Amino acid sequence: MALFITKRLLMALATVLVVAVLAFLLVHAMPGSPGAVSLGAGASQDAIDAVNQRLGWNDPLLAQFFRWLGDAVQGNLGVSLIDGRSVSADLANRLPVTAALAAGATVLSAVLGIGLGVTAAVRGGVVDRAIGGFVGLLVALPAFWIGVIFVYLFAVQASVFPATGYVPFEVSPQDWAMSLALPVLTLAVGGAAFIARQTRASMLEALQQEHIRTLRATATPTWKILYVHALRYASLPIVAGIALQFIGLFGGSVIAEQLFAMPGLGQAVQTSVSTHDAPAVQGVVVIATVVVVAVNLVLELATKFLDPKLRAS
Amino acid sequence: MIPSVAPAPADQAVPATAVQPKSGAKAAMTRFGSHRLFTSPGGVAGLVWLAALMAASLTAPLWLPFKTEDQDFTAVLSGPTAAHWLGTDELGRDILSRTFAAAAGTLGTSMITVIVGVGLGTILAMVAAAGGDRTDAIISRATEIMMSLPGTVIILAVIGAVGTNIPVVMAILGVLISAGIFRVILGQAKSLQSQLYVDAAKVDGVSPLGISIRHVLPGLTNTIVVQCALIFAVGMLIQAGLAFIGFGPPIPEPSWGGMIQGASQHVYDAPWLMVPTGAVLALTVLAANAVGNALGKAPNTTASHLPSAAARRQRMKSVKAAVGATASAPIPSQVVSAKGLLSVRNLSVGVDHGVRLVTDISFDVEPGTVLGLVGESGCGKTMTALSLLGLLPSGVSVAGGQILWNGTNLAASTDKDMEGIRGREIALISQEPMRALDPMFTVGYQLTAAIRRLRKVGKSEARKEAFSLLEKVGIVDAQRILKTYPHQISGGMAQRVAIALALSGRPRLLVADEPTTALDVTVQAEILSLLRALVKDTGMSVVMVTHDLGVVADICDQVAVMYAGQVVENGKTAAVLDNPRHPYTLALLAADPHTNAAEDMPERLATISGQVPQPKDWPTGCRFAARCQFAGSACTVPIPLLPSGASDGLVRCVKADELAVEGLEWVATEVPTHRLLEIVEKDLA
Amino acid sequence: MSIETPVRQESPSALPTKPMLEVRDLVVRYGRGRKAAAAPAAVDGVSFTIRPGETVGLVGESGSGKSTIGKAILGLQNVSGGSITYRGEDITHAGAGRRRALGGELRAVFQDPNSSLNPRTTVGASLMDPLRLRGVSAAEARARAEDMLERVGLPREAVDRYPSQFSGGQRQRISVARALICDPQLVVCDEAVSALDLSTQAQVLNLLADLRDERGLSYLFIAHDIAVVQFLAQRVVVLYRGQVMESGPAAAVTENPKHPFTRALVAASPVPRPAEQAQRREARESLGVRTAAATTASPGGCPFRQRCPLATDLCRDERPALRLVGESDVACHYS
Repeated sequence: MALFITKRLLMALATVLVVAVLAFLLVHAMPGSPGAVSLGAGASQDAIDAVNQRLGWNDPLLAQFFRWLGDAVQGNLGVSLIDGRSVSADLANRLPVTAALAAGATVLSAVLGIGLGVTAAVRGGVVDRAIGGFVGLLVALPAFWIGVIFVYLFAVQASVFPATGYVPFEVSPQDWAMSLALPVLTLAVGGAAFIARQTRASMLEALQQEHIRTLRATATPTWKILYVHALRYASLPIVAGIALQFIGLFGGSVIAEQLFAMPGLGQAVQTSVSTHDAPAVQGVVVIATVVVVAVNLVLELATKFLDPKLRAS
Repeated sequence: MIPSVAPAPADQAVPATAVQPKSGAKAAMTRFGSHRLFTSPGGVAGLVWLAALMAASLTAPLWLPFKTEDQDFTAVLSGPTAAHWLGTDELGRDILSRTFAAAAGTLGTSMITVIVGVGLGTILAMVAAAGGDRTDAIISRATEIMMSLPGTVIILAVIGAVGTNIPVVMAILGVLISAGIFRVILGQAKSLQSQLYVDAAKVDGVSPLGISIRHVLPGLTNTIVVQCALIFAVGMLIQAGLAFIGFGPPIPEPSWGGMIQGASQHVYDAPWLMVPTGAVLALTVLAANAVGNALGKAPNTTASHLPSAAARRQRMKSVKAAVGATASAPIPSQVVSAKGLLSVRNLSVGVDHGVRLVTDISFDVEPGTVLGLVGESGCGKTMTALSLLGLLPSGVSVAGGQILWNGTNLAASTDKDMEGIRGREIALISQEPMRALDPMFTVGYQLTAAIRRLRKVGKSEARKEAFSLLEKVGIVDAQRILKTYPHQISGGMAQRVAIALALSGRPRLLVADEPTTALDVTVQAEILSLLRALVKDTGMSVVMVTHDLGVVADICDQVAVMYAGQVVENGKTAAVLDNPRHPYTLALLAADPHTNAAEDMPERLATISGQVPQPKDWPTGCRFAARCQFAGSACTVPIPLLPSGASDGLVRCVKADELAVEGLEWVATEVPTHRLLEIVEKDLA
Repeated sequence: MSIETPVRQESPSALPTKPMLEVRDLVVRYGRGRKAAAAPAAVDGVSFTIRPGETVGLVGESGSGKSTIGKAILGLQNVSGGSITYRGEDITHAGAGRRRALGGELRAVFQDPNSSLNPRTTVGASLMDPLRLRGVSAAEARARAEDMLERVGLPREAVDRYPSQFSGGQRQRISVARALICDPQLVVCDEAVSALDLSTQAQVLNLLADLRDERGLSYLFIAHDIAVVQFLAQRVVVLYRGQVMESGPAAAVTENPKHPFTRALVAASPVPRPAEQAQRREARESLGVRTAAATTASPGGCPFRQRCPLATDLCRDERPALRLVGESDVACHYS
């Protein structure tokens, strides 16, 4: 087990490094040198060159990368070319927003999805078909469209939740929750549909296992077969599905953040990509990767722990 | 003892129709027409929508009422009108025209993702499956890394580098998605690689590439097509999402995501706009998903060992209808009084609204005795056994007759009543002990839970009882085994645990479905000895399902030989095996190499030509006649089960007496080739 | 193809002495690295020979390594040690090219009739493949496939059908046809009848015996059922945990087993005659062989010692070598 965890940690580290290299190369392929970007249109070539010289843009690529990596390890992701602010500080402010969004959406979609999936598998018949149709529709509806509809319904028609904006937790926990409600709901719809399908399939597969017959042959009550034994057997693929959802939602939050004007990582990517702000793009890619890989690692270990076969080995 | 036996009810005996050999091309056409995609309404609708959309979009300049950039300032943000069927946007542009004009681009660029993603994923999976452990490990690690990346963020970074070059972005998206496709396909590719026909091809000398292309790829086609449809949908959604946040095609050009974005700006003053723009995207995604789902293997809802609530209601209805008539039939008085006596009377089991799998089975099991149900596969042995516990698989139920246990007709009992019988009075052990135990819980947990439930005792007492039960079934280090998970013990050990589990409710009858078939022969001998000792010690009775006449000789007091859903001969084991009266029993014994000792091993074994007929092909007359060396014209009418003359035995053969008198033997003939030509025409899976 | 001596010979000494196949000290380990090296080998120093026209039966329980030996001979499994010699040629580590050439002479019939034929190709394609790979023209390959199908008792039209249109027994006939279509010298039958019902099992066993007698084939017949092996084999090799326990003439090994494991194996196989079976059961119970359940594989010594009634400290310390006892070679210190 210890060996396994070490191996996975090394893997996670390798993943982040690969992404760091990738991000570095991508940023270098962006149009416009840092000088040109930061000084804006109409700057003289000399001024641009001077800025590029100062930022080490003309150094060998490898040297630039290791300089960036050295700084990054110490928590310094450079400064924005647009407003000169520290990228690390900016992302530190934005991370909680996206984390709350993705975590909230993952939890909500897991709860809804598992509920729907188990109900469909257990009830069968009309209920199964109804849930199947509903879920199929949810999968097909794009999140941003659903988001707009939610805004229309809950913010415009009935002013239950604020349409846009984000209130930090420190300012008002209640407003914080209210401001998160619609974005979380928007993101959770698709996730719930995905997890519901996964859960239904896993439950049906679990119920096909022969040990279910043994349980019936020893007069195990139906609820116990369903919610203790079958759900336990089905839990491995479901948890794996939830991990995938988190990865998807963390990245996918960019749409919700744009739609609801949330100052999160997604919004940062979107603006920094539009403005060719290289250090910011690079920073946000790496930070997002670190978070996603870390959460994935935890969920993977959870999966291993759920499976006695893997736990024993 | 069986008082009287009625002739077998005439089943829907369909005369075996001669099947014309189909030519390859013709067969292929039939297969195509009856393809899953074309039998699913959703799939057909999806295909039609996608094809229509594509055609409409490609021909758009010919029929669209407006150009995409035409602005109609008299109708800005209008709802549906005669001029603008789907309304107009904030610049007065016609929504219908823009929607269809945008379709071709959206569909086309999504195809790039599909081709790159599915293509790359499939190739990687095939290489990993063919290349051995090391290659597999390297590719798997690489894809794991790819899967744990925040894909959207990376795509945006790519856009930063290459700009909003949609085809390139969609191709990179395909690369990112290929990791997921690889995961989906790898398992299947590996299982195809491990098929024996791949080994056979390797022996033939086919190269690894040849094997991948000829034997692996064809098996993956369906999955690949399903993934294509699903990824197509994902591609469209992501592309629209990118356009929504401003990374779509350059401004005047219409795109679905961009149109929704535009509509979202006016959700306060023109909410209608959200409808057509969202609907066309949702419908197209829905269509692609429908095609994928129609092709894909839907989870099987009928193979469940615990039928869904809806399925259980359905079954109760059909059982009531079928058994209701016989349930009121008088129960013989000697059966009512007997404790621990199982008496099965004219039992039939069938597929709901379909063929019978077991017809008119009758047998008795006295307390403390072992009855063997013996026959080849497809004879209905297991169905008979499972019906005793009310554990028939979904879609199969008792279609008539009685299962009398302590005077109660179990065939007419509700599932709730059966819960009181199962485990406490009738217990089950099955063929695959490993799969019969729950892999997620320890042996100790499973045993104590059953003991607490079935004996109504406390936790600590149940633990002690679990320990002593394990010792009782011959496990020496019971304390250690209690803490293990099923996968940590051997098959023989698992079967002992399964027997202990079956004993936890102190049952009076044990139904054993091929309990030793999956075990090594030395372990089989141990398990049989254990069962014999348990019968002796506890006085319980056993119904032993087996295909092995040696097992019958070893442990059974009585035996019922089954063929094609009927009992063809029964009686005391010694009488039936030493002096078989039915030609089928005779033939089985002659075909068994165990019957002969080494010195008198024949040059050729006796055989039975052909195979056990499918339930739908059962004739009204003797079901064995087509394969019988002694069959004659008298065998074409329904044959009753009649006393065989040997003690209390019964035999279902009109020629039994004749054969006994003449002392005929089943001879080792050359297999008549004409019988082998009866090729079963089945639907190609 | 040459038909050599009559086949049903009780005494192997009458057969030509140049072996068809010779397996020497074969060792197969699964996996790689330190872990694999520490685990007991799947096949541990197995030797036997097959003479032309001879059928050798390989018997053992699950995990005895019998199928692994078959795979090693066919080149489907990497060999860790020892040698496999086919008609004087060392093929232990034969390359892909040599294997391809050997594929016509060294053939196989596998266990599961459901998985040994590709469900998506016609029977004809499966049969013609090995011929086409050896440069036989399509027309001739088809004609030979049809002949071969007829020989195994199936209609010629079967070439254009798919495996799903046949029953298990018929599919196993097709597998036999595929194995024999290029006139092989040696056929490895890996549990070739164990998935079949009694009546079909007898049909396929008869077919295998007929074809052998007709063509002078050698078989390596791998099975867990000693009675089935006894029907077909002249000599029997008994395996336990990757090692040979006993080998000798089929009648001697099955009727008069010398090794305690062989005795247990033979005694455990039930016969369908109740009175005789009762005697056999008593005899088996008096053998005093301990259950397999509680034992774990541990290296060194005799692999059977934990279950053996005769075992002493010697059996723990020293692996017994094969020595001639009566007609058979037996690996036991005390038999």
